[in-house]
Amino acid sequence: MLRIIALRLPQIALTLVLLSLAAWFAIGLMPGDPASLALVSDPRLTAEDAARLRALHGLDQPLIARYLAWAGALLRGELGYSRLYAQPVADVLWPALRSTLVLVGSAVGLAALAGVALGGLAALRPRTAPFVDAVALLGQAIPGFWLGILLIILFAVGLGWLPAGGAPQPGEAGWPFLVLPVATIAFGQMAAYARHAAAALSAELHRPFITSARARGAGEGRILWRHALPNAAVPLLTLLALDAGALVSGALVTETVFARPGMGKLLYDAVMGNDYNLALLALLLVALVTMLATLAADLAQRWLDPRIEER
Amino acid sequence: MGDGGRGILMTLAALAAPLAVAPAQAQVPAGPPATRPQLTIGINQYPGTFHPNIENMAAKAYILGFVRRPVTAYDADWALTCLACERLPSLENGDAVRETTPDGKPGLRLTYRLREGEAWADGTPVSAEDLRFAWEAGRAFETGFGPAEFYRSAYELIVEDPRTVTLRLDKVTYDFAALGDFQPLPARIERPRWEADRQGYRNRTAYDTETTNPGLWNGPYRIGAVQPGAGVTLERNAHWAGTRPAFDRIAIRTVENTAALEAQLLAGQLDMIAGELGLPLEQALALQKRTGERFRFAFTPGLTYEHIDLNLDNPILADRRLRQALLLAADRKQIVERLYEGRQPVADGGVHPRDRMYDPGLPKYPFDPARAAALLEEAGWRPGADGIRRNAAGERLSLEFMTTAGNRSREQVQQILAGMWKAVGVEARIRNEPPRIFFGETVSKRRFGGLALFAWISSPENVPRSTFHSDEIPRPERNWSGQNYTGYRDAEVDRLIEAIPVTLEPEARRPLWSELQRRIATDLPALPLWHRSDAHVWPRWLEGVRPTGHQNYSSLWVSEWRVR
Amino acid sequence: MTRLRLGLLLLALLALAALSAPLLEGWMGRDAFAPDLFARYAPPSAEYPLGADELGRDLLLRLLYGARVSLGVGVAAALAAAVLGTALGLLAAWRGGWVDAALMRLADGLLALPALPILVLLAAVDPAALGLPRGALATDMLRITAILVLFGWVGVARLARATALTLLASDYVRAARALGVTEAGVLWRHVLPGLAAPVAVASALAVAGAILAESVLSFLGLGIQPPVPSWGNMLANAQEAVFAAPLAAVWPGLAILLAVAACALVADGVARK
Repeated sequence: MLRIIALRLPQIALTLVLLSLAAWFAIGLMPGDPASLALVSDPRLTAEDAARLRALHGLDQPLIARYLAWAGALLRGELGYSRLYAQPVADVLWPALRSTLVLVGSAVGLAALAGVALGGLAALRPRTAPFVDAVALLGQAIPGFWLGILLIILFAVGLGWLPAGGAPQPGEAGWPFLVLPVATIAFGQMAAYARHAAAALSAELHRPFITSARARGAGEGRILWRHALPNAAVPLLTLLALDAGALVSGALVTETVFARPGMGKLLYDAVMGNDYNLALLALLLVALVTMLATLAADLAQRWLDPRIEER
Repeated sequence: MGDGGRGILMTLAALAAPLAVAPAQAQVPAGPPATRPQLTIGINQYPGTFHPNIENMAAKAYILGFVRRPVTAYDADWALTCLACERLPSLENGDAVRETTPDGKPGLRLTYRLREGEAWADGTPVSAEDLRFAWEAGRAFETGFGPAEFYRSAYELIVEDPRTVTLRLDKVTYDFAALGDFQPLPARIERPRWEADRQGYRNRTAYDTETTNPGLWNGPYRIGAVQPGAGVTLERNAHWAGTRPAFDRIAIRTVENTAALEAQLLAGQLDMIAGELGLPLEQALALQKRTGERFRFAFTPGLTYEHIDLNLDNPILADRRLRQALLLAADRKQIVERLYEGRQPVADGGVHPRDRMYDPGLPKYPFDPARAAALLEEAGWRPGADGIRRNAAGERLSLEFMTTAGNRSREQVQQILAGMWKAVGVEARIRNEPPRIFFGETVSKRRFGGLALFAWISSPENVPRSTFHSDEIPRPERNWSGQNYTGYRDAEVDRLIEAIPVTLEPEARRPLWSELQRRIATDLPALPLWHRSDAHVWPRWLEGVRPTGHQNYSSLWVSEWRVR
Repeated sequence: MTRLRLGLLLLALLALAALSAPLLEGWMGRDAFAPDLFARYAPPSAEYPLGADELGRDLLLRLLYGARVSLGVGVAAALAAAVLGTALGLLAAWRGGWVDAALMRLADGLLALPALPILVLLAAVDPAALGLPRGALATDMLRITAILVLFGWVGVARLARATALTLLASDYVRAARALGVTEAGVLWRHVLPGLAAPVAVASALAVAGAILAESVLSFLGLGIQPPVPSWGNMLANAQEAVFAAPLAAVWPGLAILLAVAACALVADGVARK
């Protein structure tokens, strides 16, 4: 186990370095630097002002020199400032990451629960399988932002049960703001869990030790919980880990539709607003979270199923 | 932000937003004024910084209107007024005196006296020292305030007494009394930070590190809480000396997606949507139809001027007849009626009909496809087999037509115009780019091939120097500064643009303005479309909001807002 | 089997509808690209079977033209990803050693990346910097396809590699080698056919993913530019007026739903066969 960690961590570090370099140049090659944008939005800026702004933002330096300066500062622990929000990057990043993790965490939790329940239903009662299939198909095929808008129209504007989006004000309960976005993401994710759970569970239910357990008179529920589910959990965990990264960044669409501040929107705004520092650090953070989640899932897999050989 | 007439401002499509004007009817209710614990306002942008002098952004200007008090501002009738000062300096009242600068140039000496009782929300009086600090910080090259023009011109500031300052300017322009961005900054809080590290001041200012410090705010409200990206909550300024505003708290929520903004209004999470940064006009019109009496709507034309810049370096567009033909073939009245239900006026040029310098006699271009076709024939473009005209050399009359990608209103207009031009044999090839690229590179470095559709925001009686003076054509050797993106050059227009600001007598300026408007409307370096209207959506119980239509937003007069 | 048939039937119908767009346009005597300001948001009627959009253009026609773009991008991206993925997967399995290690680490790295922000980043890259014409439909479609392929090949490659490894170790491959069949012959005749099913599954899912991804990019304003319709940009345009004219948002949403479901059915059908 330790060997795997020791092997993977340098890999993760290398990926982060390469990613930061690639992203730096990608953002740098995008036209429209902060000084040009300032020039467009303010007619009173003169040629001297423009030169002053370029120097202020370090735009008179070559791209690679700026990257090295940035990386050096990062290694010294200086995260620097966000240009868009005029705040230290950490102050902008942490609340956004927390908000997104709450959103995605709840959604994935709900999706896994609902998916396993549906999958279990299909495995135990084969007659319900077509229904479960149809629900899973719908969840897979529906465009996320479209579902979000439909939910808003129905539950917020039509029935008025839930807020249409946004974030709670200080002192306001947070959960009503979570319901619709969580439902939106969870519905899309649920499909994969339901399919895998159904497949894995029906495979498990036909294995000899289950048959013998049945012969010993164990109830169906007990068989499902005690015997089949732990074994079926391995592929589900893999799925969970592979989704983690896509979800954190994919929350962008849901966050936009529901006007919910978070990592996805932050990253998008930072890239579009040419906020190098924020964009880079947010990207690296999301990549780091993703890779750590993958690592954790691998470790959990090995722990659950010692047969998996070490690579 | 509230720069009183020293320039034109451009909206960055999704990044920045529009303005407002309105039916002016401030009613005074009988008895003690009603209050409400909270007013919740939706806007579509979140400010990048809360420092009054760093960066130029509509959301910041709107929010700061509630919590800061500039010295001067333009009001809803587009007249310059004193907000924090006792009276505007003028040559007549003696607060403005012509003099000669030490360099021998004509100059001015202006005296401003702050109103009695102006105080920061921590109880400290607003003083001349606060103005002195703002002036020193602005003049220091390394502080990184945006435009330095005012600070270069204001070469001396003298503190006369704790409430009075005298400024010496090295030029004389008719709008000298407007201080615009030059506003008091709390020296007690900000000066030590600035002196400790002038270059790092942008990041160290209390406006962004301690935004909720009451000592930073001198408006009717102060910022009580900040949720980055989501909104701010404003509390009463306990030391506010003016009329007591009607709400204990104002919550401002940022919702960037306008469909989501509308949804939150309908779900009752928002009381109102600010017209300055709110719904696109079409969306608001549809909302009004569906909701009937539930909300109050005001559609007020403002100083946001939608137009199409033509790149005059393009040999096709260099021919004036062709530019005129394009405008004649565009049925702008039809678009305004169908798309906007006639709620925003077709523009004849950059000067708004409400502006006192507007000349109603300037050349106009009503829809006339026959005349357009005649002009095109005259210019040598004859109909080709595919319906697109060709010249003698066989070239097709095809032009690139750009705007900001993702701005659905503009994309709609663009497709309609392309259809109308096709009818007279002109092909418009649509090519759009995200705002950052469109403004940051393509337009600002004049890399667009033909037509570029976007908007300017201006202030009343704004001299279009940066857009039409030949010195303002962006060039690499000028660091791409200037906004004359069309590349327009005309010696007489240059002369008029230089003469207007230094002509102090309004009636002497008027003929200059008329000639300037006539020349630009004849040459048409840019095709005027319309002056944009802002759609204000208010709850029925709210009264007294007076949209201004320019960059001094309605929020500056929040103490006049009343609950019915 | 029935899933596969149903999915293929749906896809064939959609493709047929997309191809018939100009015919229908001619028959209805209407231009799918010409705005008509008098018919904005017209409700469904005999004249406009599905209603009209925000510029008074026929929604049915635009939906059909949109199918060309959306399905085109989806299929092109999936095919390119399948070819690239199969080739690289096969190469990794066959050569083994450092080639295998390098390719699989690259795949791991790409899988670990947050896809959407990188899509955004790439979508915002200026095509002129790469020597491509800006703003042409072909550039738009090429860019979106390239982005989708960049991430799409990984899944296919992993699947192809795993299957190829099993096949290469099988008795009949060993027998073929013993009989003197060349390596190219082994790969071409004995391994590649075995990859067909798993690659088909992955590709069908990739088509679905690409259609959804196009709609997301359009929602963010980074997709296909007007006046060319795609399901994604139709949906994105309609969502601004969703409360006033919900139907304009319903149709492209349903179209996407149908196409993605059809691909999923095909994938499922192949996998179960």
